[in-house]
Amino acid sequence: MSVRNVLVPSPARILKSEDMTDIEKHIELEILDKEFAKRFVYKPGQFVEVGVMGVGEAPISICAARKKEDLLELCVRKVGRVTNAIHRLKPGDILWIRGPYGNGFPMENMEGSNLLLVAGGLGIAPLRGVLQYALTNREKYGTITVMYGIRCYTAMLWRDEFLQLFYEGDKNNVEFFLSYEDPSDKQCYELQCERSDRCMSGVVTKLFELKEVKPENTYAVICGPPIMYKFVVQELMKRNFDPRKIYMTLERRMKCGLGKCGHCIVGSGRNMKFVCKDGPVFTYWDALMTKGMI
Amino acid sequence: MYKVLPKENLQSLFEGLRKIGDVYAPVKISGLSHDFRKVNSISEVDLEYTRTMIPPKKFFVKPRETLFEFDEEKLQYAEVQNGGGLNVILGMHACDINGLKVIDAAYINENPDKYYMQRRESTLIIGVSCTPDEYCFCRSMGADYAVDGFDLFLHEIGRGYFVRIGSEKGLRVIEENSSLFEDASKEDIEEFKENERRKAESFKLELDISGLQDMLDLAWDHPVWEETAEECFGCGTCNLVCPTCRCYDVADYVELDLKRGERLRRWDSCMLRKHGLVAGGLNFRPTRVERLRNRFNCKGSLVNGLLNCVGCGRCTLYCPAEIDFVKIMKRIRGEP
Repeated sequence: MSVRNVLVPSPARILKSEDMTDIEKHIELEILDKEFAKRFVYKPGQFVEVGVMGVGEAPISICAARKKEDLLELCVRKVGRVTNAIHRLKPGDILWIRGPYGNGFPMENMEGSNLLLVAGGLGIAPLRGVLQYALTNREKYGTITVMYGIRCYTAMLWRDEFLQLFYEGDKNNVEFFLSYEDPSDKQCYELQCERSDRCMSGVVTKLFELKEVKPENTYAVICGPPIMYKFVVQELMKRNFDPRKIYMTLERRMKCGLGKCGHCIVGSGRNMKFVCKDGPVFTYWDALMTKGMI
Repeated sequence: MYKVLPKENLQSLFEGLRKIGDVYAPVKISGLSHDFRKVNSISEVDLEYTRTMIPPKKFFVKPRETLFEFDEEKLQYAEVQNGGGLNVILGMHACDINGLKVIDAAYINENPDKYYMQRRESTLIIGVSCTPDEYCFCRSMGADYAVDGFDLFLHEIGRGYFVRIGSEKGLRVIEENSSLFEDASKEDIEEFKENERRKAESFKLELDISGLQDMLDLAWDHPVWEETAEECFGCGTCNLVCPTCRCYDVADYVELDLKRGERLRRWDSCMLRKHGLVAGGLNFRPTRVERLRNRFNCKGSLVNGLLNCVGCGRCTLYCPAEIDFVKIMKRIRGEP
């Protein structure tokens, strides 16, 4: 039979597994099967099913733009059975991957436009891929505005990278805004003292007070905890954004990544979607048409 | 091309089918229930059954199956061959054949599922006509007649069965047992037509499905979901007995050496609490209200243009809380 078995994973060696916070690791993988690596073409916003044999699989979004054929970067938060097992592994150990899955962000559609990236917490992971892609193809995009909401300084992911953007992004026409939820956080407060035009305490939507966001020629790209979407969308709609130009990437339970196991189903009979295969990237227009999406 | 199988030749055909492979057919297993079982003799088979509790989807979407075995030490896995030789399912009803077509749409059309495809290709399906009871509403769902999705279809007529040929595989069965079949006469054809007409008229249950998708969308906040959730046990029986439900869960089983093991999948149910639960504790369908609403919306939705419900009546008949699928759909339509 010529049909490839989409349910069997391919081994990938952990090259690097670094603690970014108490609960999040940045993991770099080398895909060992070079034939698989060739097929493994992904775009920002897609995800992989990452497995530990004997424990199970979990859907994890890819957190970097594709640079090398056999290389894959993930950000894994220790939150469940599989992700705890992934955290116990060390460089040299093997993870089993399937994918890439999902539609990803339509980077081509957004060419020629300004980008507004709004991320909350771990939501920065898939948006980091968008950001990297846009910076690699800098001439194709207008102003890039990043709004990143964190709980506190120690919860900030890729701290060195993003602090550099925070301070020096403007050289590259990138405006980086930071919000922090814990008002007693000293390090964040210092950042705010330094750049009160770019940093303030509160939830991520507070940053709309610092930046005058305009809908013209702008795509918004959102990722964060489920509760965050409607608040960010509210801010954007207040500013007359086109619902079709607001992209969101959603979380759901996903066992297969192929639109079969059924767990990620969302919507009414009128418009039923599998987040894993029809998404995870949807526009706000999709959300308006699909009951229960956000 | 249409043929007729005289009743007295059924046993010989059965023997012919056994030469192809194992034959599975409806067997009366209790006063109330039938089940598709492996059979060795035509005398075990009851082709006049109304419905089996578990639909024949169980042969294609297995209640539990190993996807592969792994050995972490050696970094290898062995794909398990779940296909096997050709098998025969004798006596599938049109609703179940149409139900399988719905699963085909989900399992084969996109990202084909190899295990499912192997089994689909290695199974010969012989349909048989039926008489609807008070739970059947397949006609409303357009699933009372199988246009395709089978290899042979036997329609009961006075002197035996009027036979439709659905595939080349089916044609081969006829060729290899040609002495058992006769050409259909004018009278046979008239009788087939008459029986179909009589069947169509005998449905006691109907559901208007025009615009059902929008009716469901409009009923998102309808009180019926909360009221029904009060009665629902959340047991998932409706999923198990549904010929189109196909949600599955995946689990790893490990040997005591913690190195070797298997990854398997098994039937899951959207009525269970864990169906929408993600790591960290967030549940996207936290209560029975959301889960029940999701199931009805899913059944009323289309997959590749096919309705996810074929009107077999099982979920209503076997629901321990006596939740009536058609009644709820009628209520959201605003019908009395």
